[in-house]
Amino acid sequence: MINLQNIEKVYRTSTIETLALNNINLHIRTGEFVSIMGPSGCGKSTLLNLMGLLDAPSAGRVEIGGETVTQYRDKELARLRNQKIGFIFQSFHLINDLSVLDNVEIPLLYRKGDASGPSRRQLAREALEKVGLSNRMNHFPNQLSGGQKQRVAIARAIVGQPSIILADEPTGNLDSAMGNEIMSILQQLNADGATIVMVTHDETMAKKTHRLVRLFDGAMVGDSVLMSNA
Amino acid sequence: MIRHLFKLIWNKKKAHTLLIIEIWASFLVLFGLSSLIVFNVSNYNQPLGFTYENVWAIDLRNNQDTVAVTAKMQTIMQRIRSYAEVESASRMSSNYPFSASTMNNNATHDKATAMAYLFVADGDFAKTLQMPLTAGRWYTPADSIGKFRPVVINQLAKDELFGNEDPLGKVITSGDGQYKVMGVVETFKSKGEFQGDKPTIFEQLNENAPWDKTVLIRVKPGTDAVFEAKLVKDITSMAPEWGAEVTYLTDSRQNQHNLALVPVTIFLIICGFLLINVALGLFGILNVSIARRRGEIGLRRALGATESSISWHFVGEMWVLATFAVVLGLILAGQFPLMNVFDLDTGVYLKAILISVVVVYAIVTLCAVYPSRQAATVQPAVALHEE
Ligand SMILES: Nc1ncnc2c1ncn2[C@@H]1O[C@H](COP(=O)(O)OP(=O)(O)OP(=O)(O)O)[C@@H](O)[C@H]1O
Ligand SMILES: [Mg+2]
Repeated sequence: MINLQNIEKVYRTSTIETLALNNINLHIRTGEFVSIMGPSGCGKSTLLNLMGLLDAPSAGRVEIGGETVTQYRDKELARLRNQKIGFIFQSFHLINDLSVLDNVEIPLLYRKGDASGPSRRQLAREALEKVGLSNRMNHFPNQLSGGQKQRVAIARAIVGQPSIILADEPTGNLDSAMGNEIMSILQQLNADGATIVMVTHDETMAKKTHRLVRLFDGAMVGDSVLMSNA
Repeated sequence: MIRHLFKLIWNKKKAHTLLIIEIWASFLVLFGLSSLIVFNVSNYNQPLGFTYENVWAIDLRNNQDTVAVTAKMQTIMQRIRSYAEVESASRMSSNYPFSASTMNNNATHDKATAMAYLFVADGDFAKTLQMPLTAGRWYTPADSIGKFRPVVINQLAKDELFGNEDPLGKVITSGDGQYKVMGVVETFKSKGEFQGDKPTIFEQLNENAPWDKTVLIRVKPGTDAVFEAKLVKDITSMAPEWGAEVTYLTDSRQNQHNLALVPVTIFLIICGFLLINVALGLFGILNVSIARRRGEIGLRRALGATESSISWHFVGEMWVLATFAVVLGLILAGQFPLMNVFDLDTGVYLKAILISVVVVYAIVTLCAVYPSRQAATVQPAVALHEE
């Protein structure tokens, strides 16, 4: 589903050059639930961003669902982000001036000639039901708790029924009870067929996934299958 | 998508108030500016109604000499007409075309009245100034024996006094006298191209009166100052105490133009500055407000927005805001034609409104496209990272 070959990512500023990722080779199969761990600054977010087509690698090849995106231009990248990938951020990234329902609807707005207004709203409502937030649809983000915000973000990630869900520390800003709730939603989505890659600092969360990839200083230092879950 | 835009704008209405005011003010400045330009252009486009090249005005003054003024004047006219260099000559009141002096009078016909420019001129006036007539004919000396003295009017005077009625042969009242309309000329912009046409009446000159001693002459092309000197010398030898001052109509036209152009130029410069200010101000505000939303732009692109849909999003938002501002502006601008402030044609205001609407949308579009384009070319990860 996701295939990374010889990935390298260098951040250049006028003064310093950071090698954030070095020679990453990673193949993630359809239906897998993979967690990525490593110390702060080791390149986890960078790796996830490359998988989510939110940034371009300095070298190497990215394949998403069999499509090699290296030569892809803005339009094709946007289509893939919109249709195949759902992204969940540590800091939620909700638009504060829009209601919960309007936030969740956004990915559908960028879909060509698709669903009408009412059917988009119906899909958004269903997504919110899946994350248990149907009673907060007309609230605004700043009227919600952190856990509720993250559930809105998950609803937004899944509303377009993408085959891949990428989550960057989805529980990082939440207490453990909330974190567990989010985790069980992700597990349910995975059970329903989504391929999930999740960055986490939390061993107990990682243990609930199929496969654990460890990064250190931009390099992959471990890739283990957690048999108990697979 | 439009619904989405409206919601976003509605929910941010407080933040947008400043922008709307900014666009509203820009619109009003543009409206004032384009009204003036449209007004001047439409005036300029009206035909002058006569030709002035090779026409000279000779201003005659009898000074202390009160003996046989009319006889001397008639002799001088005869002499002037006899030169080979003179194609045509006409005696008239002192307010010759492009001169600084004006005469006007209230004219009435039935219940209609018009404040009209008044020119007193003899039968050769139209010929000397090559004025085309649209109806009737110019009066001749033979017309002076009728019950009413003859006049020619311009189209505007005809419209105001007669409406759709045929004016030929009808009588108008002007001052103490009554006059019969002999002909109609199209326009007569005696103050130059920049001034709009005004209702105008040409009244037959009384050749036996001692006043109205300005002579217009049309000279052959190439006639120069040598002839001018000779002319003045001849006139003063016929009437030694008199003064004669020759003005070329091309020169007095230039003076009138300079007078008309000074305020227009100053206004254009001020408006140009205002426009630049307004455009820069708008650009600044939009740039900041869009830059502040880089995170949102990154997010939208992460969710599948293309670069161009980001640009359209912001252009759409700004168009909605501009529409609010323009509607508010129109309520104000609409008062000008409705209340007839400044006595301009409604058409002038409508054109001005159209121009300012187009320009406002153009500025707003440019001001939205540029920063949103720039923000959208940043990788989504980078934009989100910055937030
Ligand atoms: N936009 C950027 N410009 C320059 N350097 C960057 C940028 N983003 C990340 N880096 C650098 O790249 C390296 C990897 O960053 P990354 O955000 O991927 O780390 P991380 O593993 O996600 O850390 P954390 O657990 O703290 O989120 C770091 O050294 C970071 O300073
Ligand atoms: Mg990170």
